[in-house]
Amino acid sequence: MKKIFIVLLLVLAVGCAKKLPPPETAMPKEPAKEAVAPESKVDKEAVKESIEQKQAKLHEEARLREEAKQREAARAAAESSVFRDVLFDYDKYTIREDARPALDTTADYLKKNDAINIVVEGHCDDRGTNEYNLALGEKRAKAARDYLSSLGVQSSRMSVVTYGEEKPLCTEQDENCWQKNRRAHFTVQ
Amino acid sequence: MKAEGRILITVLCCFISSFILQPSAFAKVYIDITSPAVRKIPISITSEGPSAAKEIEGIITNDLEFSGLFSFVAPEVPGAEITVQLKVDAADEIKALWSLNDLIENKEVIMKQYTAPKKNIRTIAHQISNDIYKYVTEKEGAFRTKISYLAYASPDNKELHLMDWDGHNGIKLIPLGLTSSHSWSHDNSFLIYSSERYRGWKIYLFDLGDFREKLLFSSKGLNLAGNSSPSGDVTFSSSQDGNSEIYVMNINGGSPRKLTTSFGIDVSPAFSPDGTSIAFVSDRGGTPQIYLMDPNGSGVRRLTFEGSYNTSPAWSPDGKWLAYVGQRGGKNQIFMIQSSGTGQKQMTFGGNNESPSFSPDGLFLAFDSDRDGSRGIYIMRANGEEQKRITQKNIKAMSPKWSPFFK
Repeated sequence: MKKIFIVLLLVLAVGCAKKLPPPETAMPKEPAKEAVAPESKVDKEAVKESIEQKQAKLHEEARLREEAKQREAARAAAESSVFRDVLFDYDKYTIREDARPALDTTADYLKKNDAINIVVEGHCDDRGTNEYNLALGEKRAKAARDYLSSLGVQSSRMSVVTYGEEKPLCTEQDENCWQKNRRAHFTVQ
Repeated sequence: MKAEGRILITVLCCFISSFILQPSAFAKVYIDITSPAVRKIPISITSEGPSAAKEIEGIITNDLEFSGLFSFVAPEVPGAEITVQLKVDAADEIKALWSLNDLIENKEVIMKQYTAPKKNIRTIAHQISNDIYKYVTEKEGAFRTKISYLAYASPDNKELHLMDWDGHNGIKLIPLGLTSSHSWSHDNSFLIYSSERYRGWKIYLFDLGDFREKLLFSSKGLNLAGNSSPSGDVTFSSSQDGNSEIYVMNINGGSPRKLTTSFGIDVSPAFSPDGTSIAFVSDRGGTPQIYLMDPNGSGVRRLTFEGSYNTSPAWSPDGKWLAYVGQRGGKNQIFMIQSSGTGQKQMTFGGNNESPSFSPDGLFLAFDSDRDGSRGIYIMRANGEEQKRITQKNIKAMSPKWSPFFK
């Protein structure tokens, strides 16, 4: 997603640079038969424009790299130290009492760092069936989102996706592993 | 992609045949899908020609034995009521000349020749199986049908695949995304399915004519494909209004009609084969159970009452039965129940067994199971007999959907 965003920005940046000296104004307004001479003028300008473009592009790339680095650092910091998974009971999507402290921490962090938007993923253990678990995972993600929202985090900063039982953290067939998989998980958008 | 399209089409229309067919005066076997066959027809088969002859003989034997309606006797042993003779020439392409003798009526009743490129040898064999089956039962055989299924590729990627009903001739249709909940159209012209790509679950249609994918429905939230009705309506679940509900819309577009409004989960809708009823899963009663409703959303009634987890409803072709997954003792098992709510019975007992789907003749069920360690596709007779794995151990395959008959 991030890659696509960067590519999109580059495209926009290049597009803008091109527009600054609009090529149309440099183009001769004379009739077509006299168009041969002014063309060299256009070429010079095109070369100049292309150098400017390249510089702008390099500058933009460096800026994006720096931004991406910062975002990555924030993401790593937040995901490893702040965001803890919200765990659920089997076939349930109600927020448990023991999940609240972690959600409070997450909400505090998000309120202090309002540039960070998150994705709330909903997951299930693999004992149910795939389709039902996709619906259940969505309910879990939305329950976690709504809880954060009730603590004052804007809903527009949180998007929701379900993966059902498709992306387990572990595959052992015991309660310890099943519990780890029945979770709402936060990632930085 | 396009090349695969041609393969599929070739396989389905490659026959040049000449035949004489005298149908038998009456069906020799009457099929009751839910109980073991009362009597098996003794049959023998002989073949001559290159190794392709034995290969075809083997495929026919496998097909007819799996139906449970035939018992094979060695050609030199008396007792067969039907004998099949097969002559195969495989010089440039496969030419299979075969005949069927009815020893009770003491006459040759079928003589046909099928010709096809060598790569379509299995299709020739399955077509012969269908012909024999039809002579005996006066019903269409399912031996040339297909099964679509999902194959695990990575945590981000579950692919949509297609194979013959016996597990051979597998091809990949959709490599993109995390695919789920697919189904066949009534005329085999398309498949609909859901796929997660860039964190969005959308519903797509794959055209089996030109092998192209198109977007059928998208909205925010979870959108899961159900199946289509004979009149071209598609049912699906969507959480576009915040909560997963059942919808119906026309395959050609138009605005979807919302059929359910409950706080809980409503998911996995399935039109009955005649389109007069929709089965779906809901947790409105506290646990996931199967419900039935009319196609306009009225007349909702609960179908399953035993157990606290019943999902994945699949209709039998005659609309009398539903197969589904029920949890017992922490494991998922396949069950069948009549649409009237009676006659519930358990079909599987070992491992986890999920995603049942009936063959178009109602004689077989496909499902997935982890009973041998890794998840794979299995088939069984609809009376529970002859459960066997049809996908290789080295692929993780699941969610089979049996195609309708190919016309």
